[in-house]
Amino acid sequence: MKDRYYAGFMTQRPAFFTEFSKGLSRIRRRFLVVLTDLFALMYLWTLASYCVNDFFYHVRNFTSLPWWVMLIVAVEVAAFWEAFGVSIGMRLLGLRLRPIEEHRLGQHVVRYILWHISPLFLFRLLWKSDAVPWHESVSGLKTVRASEIAMTPRPWYTRSWSVAAVLIMLLSLGAAMLITKVDFYALSTGAPKMMPLWRGLVSPNWALLGEGVRLLIVTVFMALMATIFAVIIAVPLSFFAARNLMHGVVGQAVYIIVRTIADIMRSLNVIIWAIVFIVWVRAGAFSGMLALFVQATANLIKLYSERLESIDPGPPEAIRATGGNRLQVVIFGVIPQIVNPYLSFTLYQWDINVRMSTIIGLVGGGGIGQLLFQYMRIWDYRSAGMMLLLITIIVWAIDYMSSRLRARLN
Amino acid sequence: MADQLVVEHLTKIYERGDILALDDISFSVVKGEFLVVIGLSGSGKSTLLRCINRLIEPTQGKVYFDGVDVTAASGGELRRLRRKMGMIYQQFNLVKRSSVLTNVLAGRLGYVNPWMSAVHRFPREDIEMGLKNLERVGISDQAYTRADNLSGGQQQRVGIARALMQEPELLMADEPVSALDPATSHSVMKYLEQMNQEDGVTVITSLHFLSLARRYGTRILALKDGKIVFEGLPSEIDEARFKEIYGEEAEHVEVR
Repeated sequence: MKDRYYAGFMTQRPAFFTEFSKGLSRIRRRFLVVLTDLFALMYLWTLASYCVNDFFYHVRNFTSLPWWVMLIVAVEVAAFWEAFGVSIGMRLLGLRLRPIEEHRLGQHVVRYILWHISPLFLFRLLWKSDAVPWHESVSGLKTVRASEIAMTPRPWYTRSWSVAAVLIMLLSLGAAMLITKVDFYALSTGAPKMMPLWRGLVSPNWALLGEGVRLLIVTVFMALMATIFAVIIAVPLSFFAARNLMHGVVGQAVYIIVRTIADIMRSLNVIIWAIVFIVWVRAGAFSGMLALFVQATANLIKLYSERLESIDPGPPEAIRATGGNRLQVVIFGVIPQIVNPYLSFTLYQWDINVRMSTIIGLVGGGGIGQLLFQYMRIWDYRSAGMMLLLITIIVWAIDYMSSRLRARLN
Repeated sequence: MADQLVVEHLTKIYERGDILALDDISFSVVKGEFLVVIGLSGSGKSTLLRCINRLIEPTQGKVYFDGVDVTAASGGELRRLRRKMGMIYQQFNLVKRSSVLTNVLAGRLGYVNPWMSAVHRFPREDIEMGLKNLERVGISDQAYTRADNLSGGQQQRVGIARALMQEPELLMADEPVSALDPATSHSVMKYLEQMNQEDGVTVITSLHFLSLARRYGTRILALKDGKIVFEGLPSEIDEARFKEIYGEEAEHVEVR
């Protein structure tokens, strides 16, 4: 066994503080068990009442009782569940109850009752981090890790937590169908209404071929421009977003800032960025390109930096050992490892951008998509069919090309 | 003769996990020695070697190389010290996608103009020297193939050629033969022996097999849990010492 130095061995903190934080980390799991059980029970209850309300009374309502009544009942059920069986929270967090000595009559009941005053136990932790909670010491039922006791295998339907898990899954499915108004009837009877569209798609309006191709070129170049700009920004920034390259306090701060900005940029959908830039620079191909650029930059920073984080640390180490400086370490140890993956990610991003650029037309971001949605809106399905045909061909072609190129790179 | 390398009270604590990897290590190496460091996995061999050229920053202690305090050196001075210490690795640490020659030339990075090397321009003498060193380790015909097309033994020889490019005074090898088969192991060890005996390069190598350590080492240093448990001649390691270093259950494994 190695000698170990604990993190706190150099800093002095007030005794009660260390005791309390030690104690807190000890009971953290049990606290999470209660939270998990409460969450599971409340979830079960709301979904069940939603299903009942919708099915029997045709009201869309998640609750039928005041929320505080539901909460109290859920707390009681959770306490009961944890005292008498293996609750779903105990299962998920790997805890079990075990009698300390021999089996005593009514110890589960004692535990259930004393469970209610267990929050007061937090004060006790201020002085004694390894104190045993009252509801455990009095009832003689101890919470232990599941791995410490051998469980006899039993069929799943005799275990309360697995029954609860199955109920949660079934109710989620049922409630989800009611909430999203799944309507198989409409799906089957509405099909004939689609006939004009299908007819339009198989006999496209060839007169629009020239106009369509012109806009297709706009679309492809929008995607290309956005990709190029994104690469120019993302390649240098990706080095700042790689944890293994950013050392020290300043490095960590830069890492967090770049990552956060990229995450925010990525979390907003490209459509939302298109709307932002339409307000900013007017509707048209330029705003669409800017929206794609933002999305692509954020995406590429993430892809690139994750690749950087998974490079083999050996070659940079070897360059460092030969006496190379930082620049040489990057040029000889890091870059050779990332050139091909970077190219491959860039091609992939261009592929994504072409597909996205057709969608951007929906909100007025220019390109062929804009025309597609215009014709859709005036029910000119033959013209829309022409646009769809062109989009399909170009998306397929670029997808094929980029996947072939990427295969060559790897 | 004066000590080339002096290590004093070297201690390393890894903050993550609070592990004491090296515990107050002191020893010195005379020029021209072939020092073998043995010990179980996790006993601190790799950490010790990397603390000498500060690839890993030691927590406490001093390292003197030719009388210069390595632990106090910074920036350019540290890089100049590092280029006198060649290093080869268990996993070879070659850039797999680059050519063998480029990998070998990387050994000159401490000497050449950084701006010229940034665009992969090396002086003609260095390229000739690289080819000569490749010839010396017997793979000059592979100079322009990609490093990952080579076998393990060949890759390690590229690693040796890279270290030779530094014209080192000290060569550190971190388990150079652990990833190789026994026959290849000996051929790689023979190159180290050759450098040691013909060029007078001091060698410090960590090894797993005691048989290899006995065959090549002029002195042995045994680590256990970050402490030196034995220091002396290879012949001095008897059954009792062996058990002390490797634990009671250990059995001899021979590599011939």
